[in-house]
Amino acid sequence: MEIDLSVLPSLFVEALAYWWVIIPATVLGIVVGAIPGFSAANTIIILLPLTLSMSAEAGMIFMVAIYTASRLGAGIPAILVNIPGTAGAAATPLDGYPMSISGRGQQALAISFTASVFGGLLTTLMALILIPWLSQVAFHLHSVEMIVVMLFGISLIATISADDTMKGLIAGLFGLMIGYIGADVVYEAPRGTFGFLELYDKVPLIPALVGLFAISEAFVVIERRVVLSESDDGIKVAPGWSATLEGIRDTLVRWKHVVWTGMLGLVIGVIPGAGAAIASFVAYQQSRIFSKTPELYGTGHVEGLIAPESANNGVTSGTLIPLLIIGVPGGATAAIMAVVLEYHGVQFGPDLFESNPLVGYGPFVAMAITYVLLGLLILPLTRYFSNVLVVPTIYIAPIIIAFTLVGSFVPRAYVFDMGVAIVFGIIGYIARKTGYHVAAILIGVILGPLLENFFLRALRISQGDLMTLFSSNIGNVLWVLLIASLFAAPLKRRLAGR
Amino acid sequence: MSELPPDPPRNVLPDLIIPGLALAFAIYYLTTITEVPWIAQASAVLVSGLLLLSIFAFAIRTAYRLKAGTEIIRLSGLIPDQNLLLKRLVLLCLMIAYVWFLEDLGFTLSTFVFLILAILLLSSLANWKKALAIALAASVIGYVVFIFVFETRFPKGPIERTIEEMRDGN
Repeated sequence: MEIDLSVLPSLFVEALAYWWVIIPATVLGIVVGAIPGFSAANTIIILLPLTLSMSAEAGMIFMVAIYTASRLGAGIPAILVNIPGTAGAAATPLDGYPMSISGRGQQALAISFTASVFGGLLTTLMALILIPWLSQVAFHLHSVEMIVVMLFGISLIATISADDTMKGLIAGLFGLMIGYIGADVVYEAPRGTFGFLELYDKVPLIPALVGLFAISEAFVVIERRVVLSESDDGIKVAPGWSATLEGIRDTLVRWKHVVWTGMLGLVIGVIPGAGAAIASFVAYQQSRIFSKTPELYGTGHVEGLIAPESANNGVTSGTLIPLLIIGVPGGATAAIMAVVLEYHGVQFGPDLFESNPLVGYGPFVAMAITYVLLGLLILPLTRYFSNVLVVPTIYIAPIIIAFTLVGSFVPRAYVFDMGVAIVFGIIGYIARKTGYHVAAILIGVILGPLLENFFLRALRISQGDLMTLFSSNIGNVLWVLLIASLFAAPLKRRLAGR
Repeated sequence: MSELPPDPPRNVLPDLIIPGLALAFAIYYLTTITEVPWIAQASAVLVSGLLLLSIFAFAIRTAYRLKAGTEIIRLSGLIPDQNLLLKRLVLLCLMIAYVWFLEDLGFTLSTFVFLILAILLLSSLANWKKALAIALAASVIGYVVFIFVFETRFPKGPIERTIEEMRDGN
């Protein structure tokens, strides 16, 4: 597929003419991303009447700006109160929250925003150039390869739990089992549903996220007077520029880290179904494996915050590539965009880039503009966001509980889902108090249905032959890489110890 | 030079709750897939097998550490702060009540009541005026942002319906 890049400068000018769409969508996206339960996908669904009334170009740019800004906004509660705004930000608190509770919340936000903006901007520009080649990735990944990609995700479970690998495995596998709840996709037999019809359609992800992170954190945080840890309670979180500038500098000096974790996110984003959650955890794990100071991860390490934020913003552009080129959306938001564009009569495929360049390239151009706007808009605000850390927990905990509980109601409008959030909240609280990582449980819940679907598909195609898992060359290479990544860190530690 | 005293043995009982829950759930799950064709069972059997293996390994490790005296199992001292536990239990009851009444009372009213009760509980009934102000502000802002502006699918009760009727001019 040949793509003419000479049209890009004029496309940037054309896209800038849609500033009246981009600016409100950017502000809305930040707000939506920061509220757990209010995903970009849901917001676009809610605003469908508005989007459908716009032209295909304006509608696409509007949706892309919301999507991009929400990805960045999701990092705000993840860092400040240990509650990721979306599943894609689930790896962000691993190092972001420890920074916050030790009085470096403003710096952490600046790092997160800078990594998001630069990672996102870079990968968007790379996506524009690499569209023809990246689209080929999706063609080569079938069920067997996807199983190994999923297992990569599961291997993260053990490695993100630095304190106790065995506890990490138990938490992750428990999460996987929970992710297997629901009716079987082929035979439609209910499994592990406790008789609840509402669970036939799998465990809803947003209530699981709300419970594991928000409810459980609210239960924990009431032990303290403010969100800051007791030892750092006296730290003054005063509005000022120094911590923001320090955060920006911390990120920019690690530009190589931003680049490669962002590119990792871009490639994972191209794989349909993989998504930002997997990308951010894969980036976190790979960053830790190749780090000279892996022991600092989980304690408020700058690189541990850059990796997931750059990667999940890399996914944002990656997920649109298979949609625009082969009509296969890379994620939920891309799927909704597909519906809107199909409504406008847009035909996906390589021809789109010639027949309607503003729809073909437009999403990436709009993304690039949104990232620049985000940088200008949000970085000056970090010093005010971080004041959340000194709000007394007697006020912040009930507000978190009320708003996130209702947020878990929104996607399906089932009161049952709020109950699910409470149950996950109790599990999450016990897990936090006993040293089991809630992120490990969440990875399991996210990956469970995906792994099962690919496993089932592979077995059906091979008529039940388990050896099919080793039947593909790409799959076998991925197996080797998986095993290597599992043993790389302990081997490196052992060699360093000699 | 005097040697540092050894660390006291750690109570490992709370650490067994998650493996216990996981074990119970895995067994329950396996009982629900007995009627499903083998192909549909394979993945779950593999994962539950791995889970049971991990729990078994964890149990062996715990037994070894109990024998070595670095860990102990005991019920006493399991709950360090009884007052905080009581607050958490009451907060949990308030959350259940919030969910229970949300569809009837609607978002704004139930959020206001939940917030005021939860803040009073956590502040040990001190400063009710501040609790009232915060609960009122949060529920009104929530209504304006989510229901009035974004028209989110939040449960609607008497307040939301009355405002809708006033807006429609009925």
